[in-house]
Amino acid sequence: MSFLIQQTIIYTIPLLIVALAGIFAERSGVINLALEGTMIFGAFIGVLFINISQANGWFQKENAQLLLILTMAVSAFFGALFSLLLSFAAVNMKANQTISGTALNMLSPALTLFFISVITNQNVLSMYEGDAASWFMLKRSDFGFEATESLNFFESTFLIRNYLTTYICIAIYIILSVILYRTKFGLRLRSCGENPHASDSLGINVKKMRYIGTTISGALAGMGGFVFSLTTANASATGDVAGFGFLALAVMIFGNWNPISVAGAAFLFGLFKCIAAAYATIDINGDGVFTLAQLGISTNLYRMLPYVITLVVLAFTSKHSRAPKAEGIPYDKSKR
Amino acid sequence: MKKFIAIFLSALLLFSLAACGEDSGTTTFPNVTEGTTEENTTNAQNENLNAEDIPDNMTSPDGKYEIAFVTDVGSLKDESFNEGTWNGIKLFAAENKLTYKYYQPAGKNQATDEDRYEAMKTAATSGAKVVVCAGFLQKEALLKAAEEFKDVKFIFIDGTVIYEDGDENTSPLENVAAVDFHEEESGYLAGYAAVMNGYTKLGFTGGGGGTNPPCSRFGYGYVQGINDAAKEKNITADVNFSWEYGASFSQSAELQTMLSGWYANGTEVIFCCGGAMCLSAFAAASANDGAVIGVDVDQSKKSDTVVTSALKGISQSAIFILDKVYSDEWDEVSGKLTTLGAEEDAVGLPTENWKLENFSVSDYKKLYEKLKEGEIEVDRDYETGLNDENFENVKLNII
Repeated sequence: MSFLIQQTIIYTIPLLIVALAGIFAERSGVINLALEGTMIFGAFIGVLFINISQANGWFQKENAQLLLILTMAVSAFFGALFSLLLSFAAVNMKANQTISGTALNMLSPALTLFFISVITNQNVLSMYEGDAASWFMLKRSDFGFEATESLNFFESTFLIRNYLTTYICIAIYIILSVILYRTKFGLRLRSCGENPHASDSLGINVKKMRYIGTTISGALAGMGGFVFSLTTANASATGDVAGFGFLALAVMIFGNWNPISVAGAAFLFGLFKCIAAAYATIDINGDGVFTLAQLGISTNLYRMLPYVITLVVLAFTSKHSRAPKAEGIPYDKSKR
Repeated sequence: MKKFIAIFLSALLLFSLAACGEDSGTTTFPNVTEGTTEENTTNAQNENLNAEDIPDNMTSPDGKYEIAFVTDVGSLKDESFNEGTWNGIKLFAAENKLTYKYYQPAGKNQATDEDRYEAMKTAATSGAKVVVCAGFLQKEALLKAAEEFKDVKFIFIDGTVIYEDGDENTSPLENVAAVDFHEEESGYLAGYAAVMNGYTKLGFTGGGGGTNPPCSRFGYGYVQGINDAAKEKNITADVNFSWEYGASFSQSAELQTMLSGWYANGTEVIFCCGGAMCLSAFAAASANDGAVIGVDVDQSKKSDTVVTSALKGISQSAIFILDKVYSDEWDEVSGKLTTLGAEEDAVGLPTENWKLENFSVSDYKKLYEKLKEGEIEVDRDYETGLNDENFENVKLNII
């Protein structure tokens, strides 16, 4: 059971944080289709930062968690920087946001792969030394448990064999959701995605708000990209995040632009992704019997599951789906 | 919003199509991301010279380059397949004072047959006498180039015999020599050593979805090695055997989850045979205190989880055939497939940084001698061989 939960967390966290990135941009009125590209860029920057830090000996293994936190900040910063391209096109130049987002999605893998091959002469950039798990994963010794000490369910599931990023991301998710829905600033930001003209008439700077929304979005997506490469690719950058940016967009629509539903959607999707990959070794009730493997259902069916479930749930819930009204429409003062 | 959803869905569609295309297109050779050319094999030629010290680019006084190297996909310095072949070529060329040059097809990762043919053509027209082509993917381009440039000798590493017009009923092209390897022997050594070291629950994850011959042979040999060692110890070994999530030879979250599941349920060591898939295996092993067996080159420098690696002597093969070319023994290899194995010291395990505690280097050397002298025979025919009933002491769990 704790295996299932831990693996689900690995899939859920990047989806969660990147879907929140999508919410921030769209709530402010900008469609951020460039989430995938921003993730790729963030993953690259994060891995590069770790690589450089290790090569120069700035951080030893004892300070790995500090390096991890710093790397998250760096990749968030560069993700935000990258998203300024979108903001500039979408807010200042009033370009079509879908097209400029797509352009960034094409730019990002090409750019990162170019840098990677310049730096390493091959098409993957990985850590300078060691493995992601041996450096960054929380271990028994980090909590002062003895190697032989038996742990209870909570300790063995949520403390050891997790990454600090998981908890940081959850904390960020909660804080930003509260800011978006329970503060004056959040209300103003959301108003720009619903009726920017009304907001403008009340003295809110729509351009500024949209810049803020997209920049937060870029920061979250960059960070999400790094978290993805850390937890699923042994902290290596290959100019690819397996379509998680697009999945996060789907999760966002699925969750109706609402943080609580989005969290549920991300978890559901992550759970089924995990079942699909590991059904043969999942022991649900701990009796040593792999129930799912013994059903004799084809692997391909399990692999379809996450997508089929999403389709089915979307079919039933999309009726109530309500996107921010003014999303995707460049704000033009003269139009009413 | 409708427009957005439509565009989003088509983007998704495009992505999935692109993914499919990649799957079928990449029947490439495993490009392992780390390791150097093997130093354990005994080839007198590279004892004094180090391939790293020979420059990649040289200037020929007459502007002609005798030995040409054409890569398939990936870069020259992939620290694996291409680089290994290239190091072999450089060593040979430096030793014999020959001119050499490499040609990377345009399009790099997405290089097409046309791109590869153009690269070979450029090589041939720049005065190449020998063109070394690395990788199974070169077949179509090689067919075209070899028919056009009959005077140029082509060496097809990890390849097959090339027939006229690509029709197997016609005679093979005399200017092509194909080389492949007894990967099954290398896999056998790894499997045997792992069980002798005390592992009883093992795993195999391979690339190419079971259709890539080198990977399949590695896997089949591995299981045979496990079976023989288990028989010797009178135990039954559990083996999880899977081609899942390896079709494109790349790392993925799914692969990592699957392997983590294996480790969490007791698997002690996994032989990961498929390029960048090793990143997923390293991550899973490192998180679960498991072990990994590397492939092609010594991967222990890449991750602490690697206990040993199933090697194959890529640079030796280039030297081996080039030597035939320049010592007028071309007839021995032309128009046919030369398979290199233990007999030629072209496969094995790295004896430097030996990590197996209960199976020593001397044990390994004894085993290797047996393999060399033919006392142990490893079956190569994986298509019929991988069958549960063939292994008395292995509980094969094909996933």
